[in-house]
Amino acid sequence: MPDLSPLYALIAHLLPFECMQARFMQQAMAGMLLLAPMSAAMGIMVVNFRMSFFADAISHSAFAGVALGLIFSIDPNWTMPVFGLVVGLGIMLMQRHSSLSSDTVIGVFFSAMVAFGLAMVSRERSLARDLQKFLYGDILTISDGQILCLVALFLVLMSFLAASYNHLLYIGLNSSLAKAHRIRVAAHQYIFAGLLSLIVMLSVQAVGVLLVTALLVVPAAAARNFARCAGSMFWWALLVGISSAITGLLVSAQDWARTATGATIILVACGWFLVSLAVSTFRKERTA
Amino acid sequence: MAATDPHPLSQPGEAAIRFEAVTVERGGISILDAVTATVPKGSSTAIIGPNGAGKTTLLLALLDEISYQGSIHIIGNGTGFPVIGYVPQRLTFDRGMPLTVNEFLAMGFQKKPLWFGIRRDLQRQSLEYLAMVKAEHLAGRRIGALSGGEIQRVLLALALRQEPDLLVLDEPSAGVDFQGEHLFCELLDDLRRLKGFTQLMVCHDLPTVTHHATHVICLNRKVAAEGPPRQTLTNETLTSIFGMHMGLVNSRSMPNDSAVCTAPCCQRPPHA
Repeated sequence: MPDLSPLYALIAHLLPFECMQARFMQQAMAGMLLLAPMSAAMGIMVVNFRMSFFADAISHSAFAGVALGLIFSIDPNWTMPVFGLVVGLGIMLMQRHSSLSSDTVIGVFFSAMVAFGLAMVSRERSLARDLQKFLYGDILTISDGQILCLVALFLVLMSFLAASYNHLLYIGLNSSLAKAHRIRVAAHQYIFAGLLSLIVMLSVQAVGVLLVTALLVVPAAAARNFARCAGSMFWWALLVGISSAITGLLVSAQDWARTATGATIILVACGWFLVSLAVSTFRKERTA
Repeated sequence: MAATDPHPLSQPGEAAIRFEAVTVERGGISILDAVTATVPKGSSTAIIGPNGAGKTTLLLALLDEISYQGSIHIIGNGTGFPVIGYVPQRLTFDRGMPLTVNEFLAMGFQKKPLWFGIRRDLQRQSLEYLAMVKAEHLAGRRIGALSGGEIQRVLLALALRQEPDLLVLDEPSAGVDFQGEHLFCELLDDLRRLKGFTQLMVCHDLPTVTHHATHVICLNRKVAAEGPPRQTLTNETLTSIFGMHMGLVNSRSMPNDSAVCTAPCCQRPPHA
């Protein structure tokens, strides 16, 4: 496994805070700096495709994924993302080939996943201890292996977005129009759903089941208010996502705060959203 | 006036689309029943019929959006698969999306992600196509802030930009006022002459059809009649598909049994 200490040294150097001298904080920061831009960029498309409920359903299947790993004695760090991927592609398949509305399809998957997870927890009392970790997330225990996985996903996901951002926007705007324009709608939708499932599962470890959707949606929502065009929306989402991650992590480590990291990050992002709301209201008043 | 004199550009016999026994059923209900029809090459073909006649369904089958029995042959210009430009009836989209008309026109053509900006040559092209539909002033506007008629124009620019062999419009003038509709159809007539594409549109409005179509397909789950509008839109045909006498077109009042439109736009004084 490659040595990540130069990366950590760099982070400690760039963020010369007392709290950033601990290795686990440097690891957490590295993890968040990879997760935040990915979720912010994917979040734009989640908002565009109106898929936040989809993301919610995936995150709630996290616990079922972990339970499966424990039943078949496979490392839950693997079963969780793989299970999320299967659920995500399954939902997409159902959505495309069923006459039910998409929120109904997701609702069915959602309840099945939560029920399965709860059934497993009630059977194996030892699982209940892990439950809290998944509800609130725990970025501070991220390992080097997980960071390397994030790096790999980062490269794949960003290349996909760079190649398909325009077409994804097009499909989100109106899929019939995109299809008539000879864009491969189904392929884009499946790849997007797959990557979204993976990023959701990895984010569960960072901010917890309850807040994953916020990590995706809040930066994108703020970016919508700030941006005047679809191109700059991307940069705004990155700015909001990354700055919230850094600020949130630093604040949560302060003695006066001592709050959960995931929740703090989301709170900072929501602060950004309020600012963006003010900006867009002000802009509307001026043009009116 | 170009609009009142639609001369077909096509040579007789040459087809752009051939529908052969196209049948669509949904939940046991027949929506289209063995529709066989031809769209002549270079024509402005209108599909007319009452609500629920399957007009939009036929277009969706053509665009491969729904499954159907039978076959649809689209004949291009020999080189590769024919390009279809599609202008939907009403673009349903998220109006809160910060997307400019410029970006909207570029996103199907540019590989480079929009976050790195729009290529200069594509921007210039967009302006040319917007000018073609008389909408160059919209380039920098947000697409969510456009009116229904403005969106129709931008959609037409987007469709034209694909250099289509076939332009498919689903009620191009829905939501556009009468004056706007007339201008829109005139614009289409001019562009069709300029570019030489085949135009296929679904239309509700009989005066528009008599003015702007060179070929009509009367549809009511089956093809009731097909041919040039003045010979096809007879009282008999219209009564059979719409089920009542249509006052708009009076085929008896003109020599040669040709139909004439009684809509206000045609009632101008002869020397105006």
